[in-house]
Amino acid sequence: MGLFIVVSYYSGTAEGSKEHPQSTVLISDWSICLQPGTRKTMNDSSKLLLQRIVRRIPVQMLKTTLDKWGRLTAEQRQAIDFTQSKWALTQKLQSFCEENEVTLTRLAELEMIHVIENPNQGMWYTFQLLDPEDDAQSLELSEFKQQFKCHLSELLRQVSVKIKKHTDEAVWIRIAWGGSFSKPNHLKPTYVVHHLQTPYFFVRNLTSKLKPLLSQALTLATRHQGVKEANLSGRNLASIRDLLMRQYQHVFPTKYPSPHDEEDQPVLNQHIEKEQGHVATHRRRMAREVFGDGTLPQLQSAVYKLDTKFKDPSNRTMTEREDTFKCVVKFSSTNLLESLRSCASSGIASAPVTPLLSSIPLKGRNYFVVTDNTPGPSSQRH
Amino acid sequence: MENTSTNGVLTHLSLLEVRALSRGGPEPQRSRVRELRGEAEELRGVRDQLEAEIRARKRLQELRSSADPPAGELLPLMRRHSDLKQRLHVHHLIGGFDAVRTRQGRAVCVFVQTAYEGVFLETFNMELELKPRVQIGRHNIPPFIPLQSLAEQSHLQTDAGAFLSMLSQHLNAFVGRRRQLQLVQEQHRSVEVMESNLLCSVLVLLFTAPPEKTALLCTLKYADLGSCLPGQVHLDCEDSRLPESPEWRSCCDTLRKTPLHRALAGMKKSRMIL
Repeated sequence: MGLFIVVSYYSGTAEGSKEHPQSTVLISDWSICLQPGTRKTMNDSSKLLLQRIVRRIPVQMLKTTLDKWGRLTAEQRQAIDFTQSKWALTQKLQSFCEENEVTLTRLAELEMIHVIENPNQGMWYTFQLLDPEDDAQSLELSEFKQQFKCHLSELLRQVSVKIKKHTDEAVWIRIAWGGSFSKPNHLKPTYVVHHLQTPYFFVRNLTSKLKPLLSQALTLATRHQGVKEANLSGRNLASIRDLLMRQYQHVFPTKYPSPHDEEDQPVLNQHIEKEQGHVATHRRRMAREVFGDGTLPQLQSAVYKLDTKFKDPSNRTMTEREDTFKCVVKFSSTNLLESLRSCASSGIASAPVTPLLSSIPLKGRNYFVVTDNTPGPSSQRH
Repeated sequence: MENTSTNGVLTHLSLLEVRALSRGGPEPQRSRVRELRGEAEELRGVRDQLEAEIRARKRLQELRSSADPPAGELLPLMRRHSDLKQRLHVHHLIGGFDAVRTRQGRAVCVFVQTAYEGVFLETFNMELELKPRVQIGRHNIPPFIPLQSLAEQSHLQTDAGAFLSMLSQHLNAFVGRRRQLQLVQEQHRSVEVMESNLLCSVLVLLFTAPPEKTALLCTLKYADLGSCLPGQVHLDCEDSRLPESPEWRSCCDTLRKTPLHRALAGMKKSRMIL
């Protein structure tokens, strides 16, 4: 009876936001007392999580990830044969984890290390924080961590949060959500990336039911007063972050001729070049001014949701309808901004570039709702 | 016959009489002569002046050509160097902003150069739309610089110059703080950076003090974002008496007043930290 109580206490709180070192000592004392020589087996959720992690991580990266994790001893790491099948690897790791009494949260750390190194799986969605308070500028990491964990556990008691700071000043948060009566589910964690003192955060794998909870906790922890969807999504985290932080090569008009304008373009026909040469140069320059120079951030799609009246003089039936014509236009590409730039510079898209396209890099969004009452796009982002 | 000759003589006499009466005839001639003489004197004087100038220039040229050939190239180079320095100084005085009119005069694109300790760092660009009212347009300033609050504080609508100078101050301060952090990471590897952020407004460093390698945690807060120097320096140590000692207090003062990398170099020299 005593043993049962201790076990439930251990598993209930160690997966929470705080670790209780006393409880770990207690359980190991008990296990030594009762059954010297045997070790505690992993519970089902830990086994499932380990299986999932090993399945997800490619074998080439597994060794480095395990080294970074640092929860296995050197002998154990030597003993792993990475040419075995994943199932065999899982069994081996499971036995090592049982030996070292690795907890569920430690396993979650392993997954987090892998995700931080390889963030480009799944879809990232952007949110924007609004109305910072006066002390938002001086927010420190330790305060943020403590406040966020505190707010989130107030909103939802069963939740497991892990926060890590990466070298590029990004704060990574891994959240395993539980219910009112269920323990946190580590198989479907939400990842959040935020840079302090910036108004954006990026979220992956968040259900709409839990969105308000996360938004509220983050807004309070970062000392802002509101949050909204930023309408930017993509698979490549670095790209959407670079787009919002303006970390790509911009081109601005200067007094002095830039080297690009003097670049030799292949001259196909002298006559065409004489007539069309300056027009083509002008188009190329405008395309570079709108979209940027060099390598552009990778976006996969741009979606325009149209809710406008149908306008086509040759189709009277549709034009005479009272209600608006609803349709969704989606542009897809492996690198959307590069394709749009080459469209503009080759003349497929008319120059000057329409605000519908130029809003993508200017406002940093790729989901637009276009109605008849939409005012002319303002050049301010906020 | 007698009539014509008499007539001729009489007419002649009357002519002479008329002439004698109007004696002004020779006078204008004489004054004209005087004028001309005066002009001739002037011209001679000018000629002398010009000749003197030519002589002087010839002498200068001889002097120049008689000097050593390298110095002959050196003088024009030195002149050009001082000319450029003056221009740079003037450019800096007028705010250091390059501006270009774009979009048929409806907008102005401003460049803000940033530099720290004589090293030019990034250039930031911003388009300011002028009509219907002054608005911030396209720019490549990162989002952690609070543009909107700067615009409100300096009344962008009425005084774009004040806004630009405030912006330049903030950007230069940000770039300066970032550069200080880079220099600390390059030059002082024994000091560990525990916490920093993109805006470089909070910095937490770990010092090791020599005698027993005591660890000290130093928190630098840059509350004034327009400055490169921290407003607040706080030291934490296991031994709570150590930060209270006079040497460490003076270190705190140094950290508040000098740029970080130089303050750390000073502290290393005086053996306060390893």
